[in-house]
Amino acid sequence: MAKILLVDDSSTVRDEVAGFLRKNGLDVDTAVDGKDGLAKVKTNPGVRLVVSDVNMPNMDGLTMVEKIRGELANSTVNVIMLTTESSPAMKERGKAAGVKGWIVKPFKGEAVLETFRKLAN
Amino acid sequence: MSVLALAVALLFAALAAIVAHRRATRRALRLQDEALARLAQTHAEEKARCDASVAAHEARASGASAEIQRLADALASESENLAQANAALGETRARQDDLLAHAKRIEGESARLKAFSATFERWHEQMISLMAQNHDMHRKNQELARIVNHVLMVSLNASIEAARAGAAGRGFSIVAGEVRSLATRSQELSKSYRDSLDRNDLVTTATFQDIQAGGKMITAALASVEALARQFQSKLERKPT
Amino acid sequence: MISQAAKDSFERIFFQAARTRLTTDPAHACEFVPAVSPGPAQPGVSDEVLVLTIASIHFRIVLSLQFGDDEATRDYYASQGADRTLREAAMEIGNLCCGAINQQLVEHFPDLGMSTPYALSSDCLGYLDELKPEYIAAYDVTLEYAARLRATLCVCASAPLDFTAQVADVHESAGELELF
Repeated sequence: MAKILLVDDSSTVRDEVAGFLRKNGLDVDTAVDGKDGLAKVKTNPGVRLVVSDVNMPNMDGLTMVEKIRGELANSTVNVIMLTTESSPAMKERGKAAGVKGWIVKPFKGEAVLETFRKLAN
Repeated sequence: MSVLALAVALLFAALAAIVAHRRATRRALRLQDEALARLAQTHAEEKARCDASVAAHEARASGASAEIQRLADALASESENLAQANAALGETRARQDDLLAHAKRIEGESARLKAFSATFERWHEQMISLMAQNHDMHRKNQELARIVNHVLMVSLNASIEAARAGAAGRGFSIVAGEVRSLATRSQELSKSYRDSLDRNDLVTTATFQDIQAGGKMITAALASVEALARQFQSKLERKPT
Repeated sequence: MISQAAKDSFERIFFQAARTRLTTDPAHACEFVPAVSPGPAQPGVSDEVLVLTIASIHFRIVLSLQFGDDEATRDYYASQGADRTLREAAMEIGNLCCGAINQQLVEHFPDLGMSTPYALSSDCLGYLDELKPEYIAAYDVTLEYAARLRATLCVCASAPLDFTAQVADVHESAGELELF
């Protein structure tokens, strides 16, 4: 049961980001969309950090976060969005849903590795 | 002789003494008068001062009562203002309660609107289903084109065979020609159908992407409204210190 | 209906997005040659085109990207990931490029949404006129003298559109973590 869950519908992103994190000794699970991500958070209470895209089919990332907060009311999992979206309105929605941080793609592993490590513990 | 002289001397001395005594008495009286006059003046000054002081006190007292009256009037007027202010405060509180109730309703509405994302998900699923059908139509059209090509080949071969058969193959040759003509037209139709599918693909994709992107735009705007409604509500709920 | 200033701004924004997101390194050379859309079928360009849409209240932008189907282009992007084919990587590259355009536009149009990318047959490009665009611009893009792409930017507007975008030379706050 991994401490980090990466949610993105692009296999390219999943390979790149999860690959980088695993190379640096972090344990990472992946999900392909919001629905999959929500299910995996429910079955894996040990997950401490969720890194998620916003634009995905079946359920977008922000809806997934809102459902995590709503359906798992005692969830203390940290959520960081990793997305091409940067509009203030979207960030506000993220903030209101309890998202902890926002990264605009492309992913620069070195810059965020330490923070990810801290949040995953 | 000497007794007379002595008597005269004594008389002179007595006179001198009497004169001196009178002078002294007059001087003393004069001094006394002066002292009395000074006392009288001092007394008069003191009296004047006292009178002035009394007058001043009386003036102050009357001023003070005027002041007291003024303050009493002011107090009465302020009390009335206070009563009005209390009434206004009561109205404001009632209005605030009303606004708060309204703000709660707004927040409830915008939270409900957020559920629109479920509708957008449904549209997106329908999009995907339609695009899958498009793929299917392409596939079927390609299959048709292959069959038509095959028919064309067969009809060409048939024409060749018919020509080889000479006169006996004439009827067959006509049929083969008709088949070839049909196949050619089918080919054109299939090509035209392929063009229609391509046009349809582009317009459908563009439309559905517009819906998907538009849905996100709306969801973001609604979330913004919801955040504002929540802030408004908490502003109203804050008790003034 | 779309002012010249707006057209120039769209072009500037697209160039910036291409330079920073279509390349594997923003320092790479990036050359834009205006082309005619749809134009004759380009030799060596993929038979697939990637389509993305940005939607605002009064306009939408349809961005299409056709990657070159040649060694040079494949090699350019192969450095990114060992076993990824260009086709798999193309979706994400297109997504990033469109995302960069979105980020620039959101400063002028706060209500903006972006679609996910979709791959179509490149024959579809011949029908862009069906969308009744007010503005179409096509470019042949060459990255680091090697990779080739054909990009088309299509703007459909339902109301007059006028804005001027100042595109900063260095706009790289991407990749940083913003903590709330």
